[in-house]
Amino acid sequence: MSTEFRTPLSRARGLGSAKHGAAHWIAERVSALALIPLVLWAVFGVIRLARADYDTAVAWLASPLNAVLMILLILVAFWHMQTGVRVIIEDYIHKMLTKSVLLVANLFIVTLAGALAIFSILKVALGGAL
Amino acid sequence: MATYQFIDHKFDVVVVGAGGSGLRAALGCAQAGLKTACISKVFPTRSHTVAAQGGISASLGNMGQDDWRWHMYDTVKGSDWLGDQDAIEYLCRNAPAAVYELEHWGVPFSRTPEGKIYQRAFGGMTKNYGEAPIQRTCAAADRTGHAMLHTMYGQSLAHDTEFFIEYFALDLIMDEGVCRGVTAWKLDDGTLHRFQAQMVILATGGYGRAYFSATSAHTCTGDGGGMTLRAGLPLQDMEFVQFHPTGIYGAGCLITEGARGEGGYLTNSEGERFMERYAPTVKDLAPRDMVSRAMTIEIREGRGVGPKKDHIFLHLDHLDPKILHQRLPGISESAKIFAGVDVTKQPIPVLPTVHYNMGGIPTNFYSEVVTRLGDDPDKVVPGLMAVGEAACVSVHGANRLGSNSLIDLVVFGRSAALRAASVLKAGATQPELKPAMTDGHIARFDKLRNANGSTTTAALRLEMQQAMQEDAAVFRTSESLASGVKRLEAVQAKRGDLKVSDRGLIWNTDLMETLEFENLVVQAQVTVVGAHNRTESRGAHAHEDFPDRNDKEWMKHTLTWLDDATGAVKIDYRPVHDFTMTNEVAPFPPKARVY
Amino acid sequence: MVELALPKNSRVQKGRHHPAPAGAKKVKTFKVYRYDPEQPGNPRWDTYDIDVEACGPMVLDVLIHIKNNVDPTLAFRRSCREGVCGSCAMNIGGRNTLACTHGHEEIPGKECQIAPLPSMPVVKDLVPDLTMFYAQYASIEPWLHTKTPEPQQEWRQSPEDREKLDGLYECILCACCTTSCPSYWWNGEKYLGPATLLHAYRWLIDSRDEATGERLDALEDPFKLYRCHTIMNCAQVCPKGLNPAKAIAEVKKMLVDRVI
Repeated sequence: MSTEFRTPLSRARGLGSAKHGAAHWIAERVSALALIPLVLWAVFGVIRLARADYDTAVAWLASPLNAVLMILLILVAFWHMQTGVRVIIEDYIHKMLTKSVLLVANLFIVTLAGALAIFSILKVALGGAL
Repeated sequence: MATYQFIDHKFDVVVVGAGGSGLRAALGCAQAGLKTACISKVFPTRSHTVAAQGGISASLGNMGQDDWRWHMYDTVKGSDWLGDQDAIEYLCRNAPAAVYELEHWGVPFSRTPEGKIYQRAFGGMTKNYGEAPIQRTCAAADRTGHAMLHTMYGQSLAHDTEFFIEYFALDLIMDEGVCRGVTAWKLDDGTLHRFQAQMVILATGGYGRAYFSATSAHTCTGDGGGMTLRAGLPLQDMEFVQFHPTGIYGAGCLITEGARGEGGYLTNSEGERFMERYAPTVKDLAPRDMVSRAMTIEIREGRGVGPKKDHIFLHLDHLDPKILHQRLPGISESAKIFAGVDVTKQPIPVLPTVHYNMGGIPTNFYSEVVTRLGDDPDKVVPGLMAVGEAACVSVHGANRLGSNSLIDLVVFGRSAALRAASVLKAGATQPELKPAMTDGHIARFDKLRNANGSTTTAALRLEMQQAMQEDAAVFRTSESLASGVKRLEAVQAKRGDLKVSDRGLIWNTDLMETLEFENLVVQAQVTVVGAHNRTESRGAHAHEDFPDRNDKEWMKHTLTWLDDATGAVKIDYRPVHDFTMTNEVAPFPPKARVY
Repeated sequence: MVELALPKNSRVQKGRHHPAPAGAKKVKTFKVYRYDPEQPGNPRWDTYDIDVEACGPMVLDVLIHIKNNVDPTLAFRRSCREGVCGSCAMNIGGRNTLACTHGHEEIPGKECQIAPLPSMPVVKDLVPDLTMFYAQYASIEPWLHTKTPEPQQEWRQSPEDREKLDGLYECILCACCTTSCPSYWWNGEKYLGPATLLHAYRWLIDSRDEATGERLDALEDPFKLYRCHTIMNCAQVCPKGLNPAKAIAEVKKMLVDRVI
């Protein structure tokens, strides 16, 4: 092992402090906070739509307030999910290459899924999808 | 014999031991630009200083007027006039600066409302030369030693002291009366090391584990004292062993004297606060030797508590639980764990328990080791210093006052560093070490490692501990001491029959305990021989056949040499320094010691 | 990936059995982890049937009894035996604690398993290698940083400010918390761990210290500090009853405080 001859203090200090993390930590908490009303609203909305027909559902989503809230929900939820999965990857995966690939994949998949979801909402809201 | 190869190190100063005094000395030497190593058999914060509770004495005067001369008077009187007054002056004068230094390093002292260091009352500490108790003991709740040790370890990290942790020191490298270094065994890889230095500072602590029941840690085996005796040098005043009045009955764990300083008191089976009879002025805050004797008398006369009437109660239950929580949280926890007692409701069962060794390696107040050579009673041993409990400066004389040990550590740790800085030149050339200087060390190590007799170390150690416990107790008689001498000789004789089961070199604690036992047993022996020899009562040495202090004949330090091969003890004496260091204080002539 | 199984040469095998002496009154079995680096072979579980009536009340008393009377080769650290030096930290009955303050009566059942602190390399038997732990402690510069010239006397500190150090300065560096933390198990090289972070907060909150900002800078890092996921094992095992998780939360709060 090549690190064996490094002094313990050198190992403990490692690469030094990244000098960031507080903003990320705050953002995680704030996004979690934002998700409380957004999720409640979404659950409430979906329950109400459960017995409605397709047109009613489209009309509901097309209303400006509902469309914007839904986009916000998708944005916040996907961002929050991305950071959560990122922490899990950082916790358990230690090989630099595997870790980088997984982190990038996490970002790409979440971004793609989120973008598709937002596009769909926009399409419904603006284009009157039928 | 297996072959062993030394790994060599060269330093200006090597400190053996990383408790309070060792860390202070090492820090001072490193600050002075000397290349310093500190070797320790335990990680520094595990040293026994960590268990000191009550506080550190210094005449700061934060709780009302105080004067270092008053402190000096108390210390001289506490020592029963066996302490060297020049050294005591040095201690008390330098105490306030030493405490401020600790505070500046970050020790979390408790505070007064003005934001100053809180001070509490302690045994034998008085105002105006014995008038009434005074609050002189600076405290960090009841974890002062812990707070100090951790802070000092932090400071030594800041000053890049080089530590060699979990190295067990074997012997001093002596070269025709000059100390050239020390050999050590590294526990985690089993290698042997030779540390060469211009100065070796022994800070190895006391040998409380020579007794069966002690407040001392398992590691308090006085390794420096053993090394010193084997190097052909004497130990001083070894007959003076302090019993702390309040060790938890059964477990032996310490309950600080600060408990009485905060208002706690002792009672016998009749519920009587008996200390009022023994020390009318200071009562429960009498010095430890007197309280221990009083408790022993109460028990002897049938007024002990418990089913066997063999201990005493310490009451804290009348104190405000808030004060207990704030100032005595540690002992409240200890009493709960080890005696099952809730201190806010019940008294703590306590018993006098071996606590401190006033004796040790004789030094002057520069911390240089001295010996008697012909007519010169203060002959300095070149290259060797000793500090802390391992040393006998002697500031504690025949009895140490509570909270004077922590101040002893830092004041004399500092004095050792100052002296080293003034007598040594950093990086000076050192003579080459010859194998002949360390062949004996290896032979002894190898012999013990392969010891294949029929007596286990644990069994022989127990035999020694029981002899010490029974024959060199709070009260001694000619008969008990003669028996002690005999029993220790018997133990000594069985040393050749030791059995060590583990032949390994890595973390072989069987071997380590054997090496520690070897250090203990020689000191136990000079303790009983010294005690048997001193036909008077002084401080902690209470000889029932000679109940009075005899200044004419015995106001002198005992020096004991031991021949490791035969176990023969040689005794000589050094005069007590009954003079002061400066003319800013007059010496205190001996008088009756009443409180 | 995280290794979920022990490497082949670390798998613990069945070891020797030491039966109770004849006439033992109350026998309890202690299953002790043994490893000797100087002997070939894997670590093993040795079992000792001990007459607990012949020992003192604590697990440490049992270990010393074993060492003195049954098997002198057993290696473990010990010193103060009263819970202030932190030497005898080990995993007893599946829980990190100090052997000297943990009563053997407290362990339910007839068998008690004793192992070294988890996640640290083992030097021998119950002796773990704590080098990294100590280095991490050193890395937070655990000493008072001041720039203002020192006063002639003490730095003043109000009793209220001093009280903020309670629950922090009492830490004995036994490593029970750090080695019980799963986050530390996974990222022990990069995450400082609860004990070190508790000490970091002890200096951050000391009213006498003048380097709070620099200290916070050094901690603000996704790994050094933010690997704490408030699992709370640290607070649960601390033999001194301290709460490192709370101290870490306070550090995070300070970091928020300086940006909003």
